[in-house]
Amino acid sequence: MRRVSKVAVVAVTGALALTATACGSKPKDESKSTPSASQGAGGGGGTAAKVKACMVTDTGGIDDRSFNASAWNGLQQAQKQLGAEVKYVTSKSENDYVPNLDSLAKENCTVIVAVGGLMADATTQAAKANPNQKYVIVDSTSVGDNIKGLQYNTAQGGFLGGYLAAAQTQTGKVATFGGKKIPPVTIYMDGFVEGVKYYNQQKGKNVQVLGWDEAKQDGSMAEKFDSPADGERIANDFIAQGADVIHPVAGQTGLGAASAASKSNGKASILWVDVDGYESASNYKSVMLSTVTKAISDSVFQSVKETSEGKYSTTPYLGTLQNNGTGLAPYHDFDSKVSAETKNEINQLKQDIISGKIQITSPAQPKS
Amino acid sequence: MTDERRPEPAENPDQEGGAHVSTVIAPEPEAPQAATGAAAKALERAALRRALVTGIGFIVIGLYALWAFGLGTESGVDAVFGMNVANNRGSEVSPLHVAARGTAIAMSVLCMVAGVLRIVLDKSRLARRLSVALFVVAFVVAFLCWAVAGKQMSFAGALQNTMLAATPLILGALAGVIGERSGVVNIAIEGQFLFGAFAAALTASVTGSLTAGLFAGAAAGGLVGLLLAVFAVRYLVEQVVLGVVINLLVSGITGFLYTQLLQPHSDRYNNPGVFENHKIPGLGDIPVIGPVLFDVNVIVYLMYALVIATHLGLFYTRWGLRARAVGEHPTAADTVGIKVNRTRYINVGLAGCIAGVGGAFLTIGTVGTFSKDMASGAGYIALAAVIFGRWRPFGAVAAALLFGFSKALATSLQPLHTAIPAEFLNMIPYVVTVFAVAGLVGKVSPPAAANKPYTKG
Repeated sequence: MRRVSKVAVVAVTGALALTATACGSKPKDESKSTPSASQGAGGGGGTAAKVKACMVTDTGGIDDRSFNASAWNGLQQAQKQLGAEVKYVTSKSENDYVPNLDSLAKENCTVIVAVGGLMADATTQAAKANPNQKYVIVDSTSVGDNIKGLQYNTAQGGFLGGYLAAAQTQTGKVATFGGKKIPPVTIYMDGFVEGVKYYNQQKGKNVQVLGWDEAKQDGSMAEKFDSPADGERIANDFIAQGADVIHPVAGQTGLGAASAASKSNGKASILWVDVDGYESASNYKSVMLSTVTKAISDSVFQSVKETSEGKYSTTPYLGTLQNNGTGLAPYHDFDSKVSAETKNEINQLKQDIISGKIQITSPAQPKS
Repeated sequence: MTDERRPEPAENPDQEGGAHVSTVIAPEPEAPQAATGAAAKALERAALRRALVTGIGFIVIGLYALWAFGLGTESGVDAVFGMNVANNRGSEVSPLHVAARGTAIAMSVLCMVAGVLRIVLDKSRLARRLSVALFVVAFVVAFLCWAVAGKQMSFAGALQNTMLAATPLILGALAGVIGERSGVVNIAIEGQFLFGAFAAALTASVTGSLTAGLFAGAAAGGLVGLLLAVFAVRYLVEQVVLGVVINLLVSGITGFLYTQLLQPHSDRYNNPGVFENHKIPGLGDIPVIGPVLFDVNVIVYLMYALVIATHLGLFYTRWGLRARAVGEHPTAADTVGIKVNRTRYINVGLAGCIAGVGGAFLTIGTVGTFSKDMASGAGYIALAAVIFGRWRPFGAVAAALLFGFSKALATSLQPLHTAIPAEFLNMIPYVVTVFAVAGLVGKVSPPAAANKPYTKG
């Protein structure tokens, strides 16, 4: 009987370890290969070389309603408009990056899209091993001879979001939290904090930001991009402390924050991230103040398009307010609650950031 | 197996119920055992050693707390604890201001006092428990005063988060308790959570009825429980391995259905909504505790009822007596006419239903949508709560609350920019679990026939 309990303990720890690392390193073949529409009809040859665009997701998965989802959107757009064949494989953990990239390299993809700056090392490695394969990486600069980097200075969009949040708060407290402490996440939070600070300077107010200290680069991190329960807890804590606008930068984890806000009896609202939350997380549209956007899907689509036209280049792309690579989504249901004054000020801010009149200091900003 | 048992009598409600078969039941693990002669001396020495080690441990940790938290805190600043929950509907309670340094020092001293009491009052079981409780509370308060000094933390928010994290754990742990008491180790709690969460979200979305979702969640959990029972009881498969395999199976099935069905049509299939909170008049108006415990949704109230029902059921009814008989000594139970395997089928299925309700809480009780592998290890923590709670419902509740509280604390402390790195804060719940199961519980014995299939003859 004592042995039994030992077996049980070993098994439990083993199982915990398994879930913690999300099971080993085999490539997760949840890939969904979608043949292009033109394939069925195409009996005779002679059409232009067809593009096959493949993608490796980060751990949030394809339906994070955030950055993986928008990259996949870009590919689906390519499927519709260019007749491209598209496919994705899911990374369940960081251990899956290399095997997933390897498995795609054997599949004759015209271009492989790696979603996430965390994958930069793995992609560099894969690109060296397959020098003739074209790669595109989201949230990283061009890190090799055959890798095109797509980057977004979302601190600019975040700045507008922070200003908006500061203008909308009733309690004088706003909050933000991240999925992991990595530059593509903290850049939003930096921008957000700077936007609030700028509002305070302009208006002589003292709106506080919970959850992120830009100077110390330290704050609330869920450490997971796929756990709404954690997001709900973090947001509950913020709301209980009096924050009424919350900016989650954490993929699916952020959905928990939206849920907490929707249960707050109308006290709290959400500033969503990456893609317009009013549409992508429509369950919670009633609490979506706005979204700090990041044009991943458009830039991914453009890269695939360039590749299909034989114009692939490794010149890095940098999304800014100027080229709509980042910005603020419409206010939707909150449109009537945001004053015309605030709207004008935000438009003016946007011009000032583009012209360089306002300088953003976030250390996470991509070097252009 | 009885060598290190403590000599003092245990409080033992277990043998009062169910009259006619009680004579064939093996004693409860904590049942009184009078040792005599040399054995008694050896036992006493072991107990004394344990008291000394624990007590001195408490004192040393108390000294550390005094140095790190007491003297490490700036003097003259307050630690502010907010007393309002996020969805407060009652009256606002003003925050509690505490002189940080003084309180931290006082609490560190209390830690040491607890250590002394632990050594001096070793003979009384109650005093032992109280000294441990005093130590834990004093240590946590000292730590909080240090961490929050000069800042504000929402204490009520942390309590609310504790309930949020603990509710599914408690339900899962109840399932574990019933299963193991009946002789089947239920490692499949994780799978029951996941399937319950999935079925609840899907059913509630399709039918538009949250109640239907709740029943579907329970049924789905029960189904996974029955699957476990069939293989464990009928085909005698090693239960621990079986449970892990079932978890992987459920993860695969729900993951597949999710990508094929729920994700592409999330409006139709993954949009269940969540249960509204209901406030109990009177009880819900108690400051701080009221909104946390009595302004919650129906699944949490159901959880309260299930905890009490499981406790009463296991220890005061014929059903519970039979379940425990089957879990301790199936051969004896069989000779008096209890159908061992049928009892196990029913109980494991029932336990699955309870875990399924816990799963339903994950979707229609909190977040409102299902996502892949969303149980993320909660089932295994529930299992740890079973062991930490010594296979008793209320013990499991305490364990789950401890885990939930440490998780909530980790969340609350993150925005305060303490000296502790955020990554480490997120580890606290798991560290606490390991220490609790390994250290605080001491020697525990599972039901004798847990993980032992029963074959006649």
